[in-house]
Amino acid sequence: MEKHLITTTDLKTKIIDGLGLEDIGINEIEDDMPLFGDDGLGLDSVDAIELTLIIEKEFGVKIKDMGESENIFASSNSLVSYINENQAN
Amino acid sequence: MKIYDMDEKCYVDIAKVENPTTKVEQLSDALYCFENNIFDVIYDKSQPALVKYINSLDENILKQDGFQFLYFTSGTTGLPTGVYKTKENSVKQAEALLKTIADMKFNRVVTTVPFVHIYGIDIGAVVPHLLDVDVWTKENFLPEELAIEAAKEGTLVVTTPVFIKALNRIKKDVKFSNSMFLTSTAPLPLEDGKEFRENYDCSVSQLFASTETGMMGHKRDDEQILTAYDGVSIGESDNMLMVSSPFVTKKVLNKGIIEDIIPPFQTEDIVEILSEHEFQLLGRSSNLVKVAGKRISTLQIENIIEAMDGIDAVLIKIRKDERALKDEILEIYVESKKGLDAKVLRAVLKKHFGSMNIAFKIHNGMEITRSSVGKKIGFKEL
Repeated sequence: MEKHLITTTDLKTKIIDGLGLEDIGINEIEDDMPLFGDDGLGLDSVDAIELTLIIEKEFGVKIKDMGESENIFASSNSLVSYINENQAN
Repeated sequence: MKIYDMDEKCYVDIAKVENPTTKVEQLSDALYCFENNIFDVIYDKSQPALVKYINSLDENILKQDGFQFLYFTSGTTGLPTGVYKTKENSVKQAEALLKTIADMKFNRVVTTVPFVHIYGIDIGAVVPHLLDVDVWTKENFLPEELAIEAAKEGTLVVTTPVFIKALNRIKKDVKFSNSMFLTSTAPLPLEDGKEFRENYDCSVSQLFASTETGMMGHKRDDEQILTAYDGVSIGESDNMLMVSSPFVTKKVLNKGIIEDIIPPFQTEDIVEILSEHEFQLLGRSSNLVKVAGKRISTLQIENIIEAMDGIDAVLIKIRKDERALKDEILEIYVESKKGLDAKVLRAVLKKHFGSMNIAFKIHNGMEITRSSVGKKIGFKEL
């Protein structure tokens, strides 16, 4: 059976719903925009924990080491790549 | 005691660190100052407004003789209040805490909180110092990682309700029967405490505290009533909690001016006193939202928004969302011809409060209604 690859739009929808970013539209989150920090979406450390729980629940992918998270959470693009690479068949 | 850096997987010396930025550096520096009686200013360098305020103060004002640490509250009226604490404040407080958990033996402390506030330093660093056990920390914890550590026998976990809720959500098949969790910074809902106990067979002690008073009371698991810590005298005036204890500050720094505190200290917490040592928290006197453990007044946020171009009036209500780790969401009602843009507001809040993401929903096109004396009382759609 083939994997169902997710898109950045799928991910952004889950981020907006899951983090209660009710005032942000999908189009406002660019694919390469940093999710954390002052230059991007501006998520914080509590959002990071929430995001790991959302990714596990919605896509069945666990982030096992927060040390890896800097690269994984760099942008919607990098996060989608990680999810698609680590999704079970 | 030693510091274990879980990111680098090695022990780190307790040493003086100039401009500490990482958690391990903050911990190492604070413990060095504590052990060697060196005064230090503890603050969150990611908050631009606070950094600017501290940099504007003369060193002779900041450093007061006889004190160990100067902490800062987030401030409910705009400027943060500096709170001076002696070494005795911290040690007596840690001793009082340890009496309440003397039924367990600990061989290490795992701390998830940063060492830029009183909770991180006084509980996350001074408690292991007094126990003479190692303190383990890392920059960012995942709930999964904390579960692995908590499952190791004799672990005292110093954390926040965010991690208790997150551990409840991942429901790992593991028990923390020989460990214990301490939590503070925000109330842990009763159901979350119960669920945690059932899931993990582990006790949670909630610390009710503030920067000015230090620890006031505690409750365990599904208890609803707070018990005052040993040495803490409680009372009330107009239903507001009054506290005297060896942990309460004697000096604060308010808008650049040093002020003496005469006990008892009046808090902003509305309580019912049930006995000499027991009380119940009923609410807070001012409309405060808790973000990343900091109490921020909605009035302060209203003032910030009203100072923006084209905004006539703003009223903020707090909505609770128990499902979320961030369980308080600001409903922002805006009276303005041009409307308030979410992206612009995020940038403005970031400038004031630094790297915390405040959850909000904007309602433009409102008229803010006022009482006869001008107090904002509600809103209606235009």
